Amino acid sequence: MIFRKKVLILLIAVLAVLLIANAAPAATLAGFDDNEIRIGQWGPQTGPAAPWGSVARGSKLLFDVVNEEGGIYGRKIKYFIRDDMYNPAQTAAVVKELVERQGVFAFVGGVSAAGGLAVKDYLAQNKVIWVGPATSVKEYVFPVQPYLFSVYPLYEDEASVLTKYIVETLKLKKIGILYQNDSYGKNGFDGLKQRLDTYKMSLAAEIPVEPTEKDLASQILRLKSSGAEAVLMYVNPTTAVIALKTAANVGYKPQWVSSNTLSDYPLMHKISGGLWEGVITGNFGEIPDSKNPLMVKYKEAAKRLSPEERWGTFYSAGILFADPIVEALKKAGRNLSTEAVLKALNAIKDYQTIGPKISFTEKQHQGSDSVVIQKCGPNGSYIELQGWTANDLATWKK
Amino acid sequence: MDMKRDYYEDIQLFQSGVVLAWTVALLLVLFTIPLYTPNYYVYLLNIIMVHVILAVGLNILVGSTGQISLGHAGFFAIGAYGTVLLMTLLQIPFVFAILIAAFIAAFFGFILGLPALRLEGPYLAIVSMGFGLTIMHIIGGVDAFGGRMGIKAPPLDLGIKQLGISWILKTDFQKYYLILIMTIIMVVGARNILKTRVGRSFVAIKDSDIAAEVIGVNLTIYKTLAFAVSAFYAGIAGGLFGFVLGFFDPFTFNMILSIIFLVMVVVGGLGTILGGILGATLITYLQYDLLKNIAEIPYFGALMVAVSKQWFTMVGLENISSMAIGLIMIGIIIFEPLGMFGVWIRMKKYWMTWPF
Repeated sequence: MIFRKKVLILLIAVLAVLLIANAAPAATLAGFDDNEIRIGQWGPQTGPAAPWGSVARGSKLLFDVVNEEGGIYGRKIKYFIRDDMYNPAQTAAVVKELVERQGVFAFVGGVSAAGGLAVKDYLAQNKVIWVGPATSVKEYVFPVQPYLFSVYPLYEDEASVLTKYIVETLKLKKIGILYQNDSYGKNGFDGLKQRLDTYKMSLAAEIPVEPTEKDLASQILRLKSSGAEAVLMYVNPTTAVIALKTAANVGYKPQWVSSNTLSDYPLMHKISGGLWEGVITGNFGEIPDSKNPLMVKYKEAAKRLSPEERWGTFYSAGILFADPIVEALKKAGRNLSTEAVLKALNAIKDYQTIGPKISFTEKQHQGSDSVVIQKCGPNGSYIELQGWTANDLATWKK
Repeated sequence: MDMKRDYYEDIQLFQSGVVLAWTVALLLVLFTIPLYTPNYYVYLLNIIMVHVILAVGLNILVGSTGQISLGHAGFFAIGAYGTVLLMTLLQIPFVFAILIAAFIAAFFGFILGLPALRLEGPYLAIVSMGFGLTIMHIIGGVDAFGGRMGIKAPPLDLGIKQLGISWILKTDFQKYYLILIMTIIMVVGARNILKTRVGRSFVAIKDSDIAAEVIGVNLTIYKTLAFAVSAFYAGIAGGLFGFVLGFFDPFTFNMILSIIFLVMVVVGGLGTILGGILGATLITYLQYDLLKNIAEIPYFGALMVAVSKQWFTMVGLENISSMAIGLIMIGIIIFEPLGMFGVWIRMKKYWMTWPF
C-alpha cells in the first residue's frame, strides 16, 4: 500500500514536470529567427497508413543535408514531423499546434487528402506557406490558393501520358481500365478517356471496383472476355495484388499499367509474390538507382544520416516535394519574410532536381504535368522506359 | 463517508455545500478558459469535450450495463454525417439536425442491441466491430455522402434560416461555448439516467442478467435501451465533432478510434460518470498533445529520441506514444482496476480524513 502510494506520487510528479515543461511558451511565432527556420510536415507514422510515413522522413533528409551545408544564410532548418495517424482530426490538431505554439514558417508534403483538406483553409487564413502536398487533389490548386503550391502530377495527366505510351509505343489497341470508385480512380479514368478520344478509340472494358472488395473474380473475367490487351489500374495496392493473382489463376495475361501510387516496386513485388514483374507504372520521381547526380548524392547522404531507412520511391519523394521551399528560401535572400518567399515561389520556372520540371506563376500553382514511365524488373528492380513526359493534353494549362 | 440515508439524498445533484462550491468554481474556470488560453488549446478542449460526451455515453453501455462495443466510431460517424447532411441537403437548422442525427444513431444502437440479447463478451465485441466497419464503408460507398473524399461541414448556424434568424459560430472560441453547454447538459443527463429506475436496471443487468430478469427487469427493453442511449450520446458527440473539424472523410471513423474510445472508458474508470470524463480528457490530451511533442521537451525529449533510435523501428518517436498509451492501459488494469476514478476516490478519502 505504502509502496503503491509512493509510485503514484512519483508518477504524478513526473507527469506534472512534463506538463509544465511542455506548456512553456514558444519564444516567437514568426516562423523563423536569426538562427533557424521552422518547417513542419504531418504524415502517418503509425496506424493503417504508416507505410507512407517515409515521405515525411525523406523531407527530413533534405533538411539535414541543407543544414550540413551550413543552412540558408546562416539559418538552420528546424524540422517538425507530426504523426496524424491518417486521421484529419489529428491533422488539424498537430497543424494548429505547430502554427500557434511552435511557430512554423511553412509546411511541406502531407500525405492524407482528407487531412490536407481539413487544414487547407486554416493555413491560408494564417498565411502559412504549404509546398508539395504528397497527394494529388484538384481542390488544392484549382482555383489557385495563394499560399499552396503543388508538385504532385495530377492522376488525369499521368493516365493520359500512360495511355499515349500504350497506344503509340506498345502498339496495343484494346485497352481496359480497372479503377477505384472514388476521385483517385475517376481522375485516372478521365485521363485515359481524354487520350483515347483523340485517337477516336473506344474502351474495351471499364470496370469500377470498391477499394474494400476482396473478390475480384467477376471483374477479372469481364476484362478477360473483353479481350483487353492492356489494362490500366487506378486502384490501391491491395486491390492491385488481388487483381494480379486472380488474373494469374484464370490465365489472363494483359500488359498491366498503373499509377505512381503503386510505384514502390520492391514492396509490390514482395506482396504480390513476384507477379508485379513486368508491370508498367508512372512515377513522380527518378528511379531509386538513378544516375542523376543529385539522386546519387542524396542516396549517399541517406546511407550516412539515416542508415535504417530503405532508399525507396516514397522516401526520395519526400525530398522532391520539399525541394521548392528550399530553393525559394535561398532565392528570397537574407531578409526573410513570407511575402519574399511567396514571390520567389511564384517565380520558380523549369526548376528540376530529382523530379519533374517545376514552374509556378501567380495564376498557376500546379507545378508539374510530367511523369516518368518505368517497368518492374526481376526482384522488384526498376527499368526506366521513358524519361520525363508532359501531358500535351493537360486541360488546366489552357 | 459517502453514506446515503434515503433515496432523495442519493438523487441530489449536489451532495453537499462543499461539492456545490467546487462545482461552481470549476464551471467558472471552464467558462473563462478561452479568455486566457491560446487558440490552439481551445481547439484541443473542443475535441476533449466531444470525446467526454462520447465516453460518458459509452460508459453507460460498457461500465454500467456491462455490454461491450467496439463499434462506437460508427455511431460517432452517423452523428457527424447525419448532422452535416441534414443541414446541407435538407436545409434543416443545426439544433434540429443534430437531434435527428442523434436519434438516427440511437435507432442503429437499438438495432445493434438486438444481437446483444444473445451474444456476450468476445462475440458481442466482434459483432459491434463489424457494425463500426460496415458504417464506415457504407458511407464511403455513397457519393451523395461525399464518398471516400469526405465532406465539408457547412457554417455552424445556430439560428433558423427559414425564419431569417442567423447566428453563425465561426471560431474555435465561439464553438467552445456551444460544446461546453452541450457537454454539461449531456453529463448531467447521464448522471440522472443512472440514478433512476432505468439506470438501476442497467446496473442489475451488468451484475447478472439472469438475476435481473428474475427480479423483473425486461432484458429485451433495457439491453437495447442501453445501446440506444449510448449511441445517442455518440451521435450528439459526432454532430459536434463534424463542426470542430470542418472537414472529414469516412476513414476518420476507423476501428482504431473505436478502440481508443474504449481505452478512455477503461482508463477513466468503468461505470462512473467522472471516470468517462477523466479518461476522455487524459487520453485525448496525451494523444493529441503531450505525446506528439515529446521531442520538444527539454532533456527528456532528447533522451527519448536517443532511446527510440537505439532500440525501436525507424518511425522514431511515434513508437513511444503508442507504447505510452499501451503501458497506461496495462498499468491501470494491474494497479488500479477502478481507473482514474479509483485514484480520485483515494485522494478524496486522504484529504477528507487528513491529518489522520
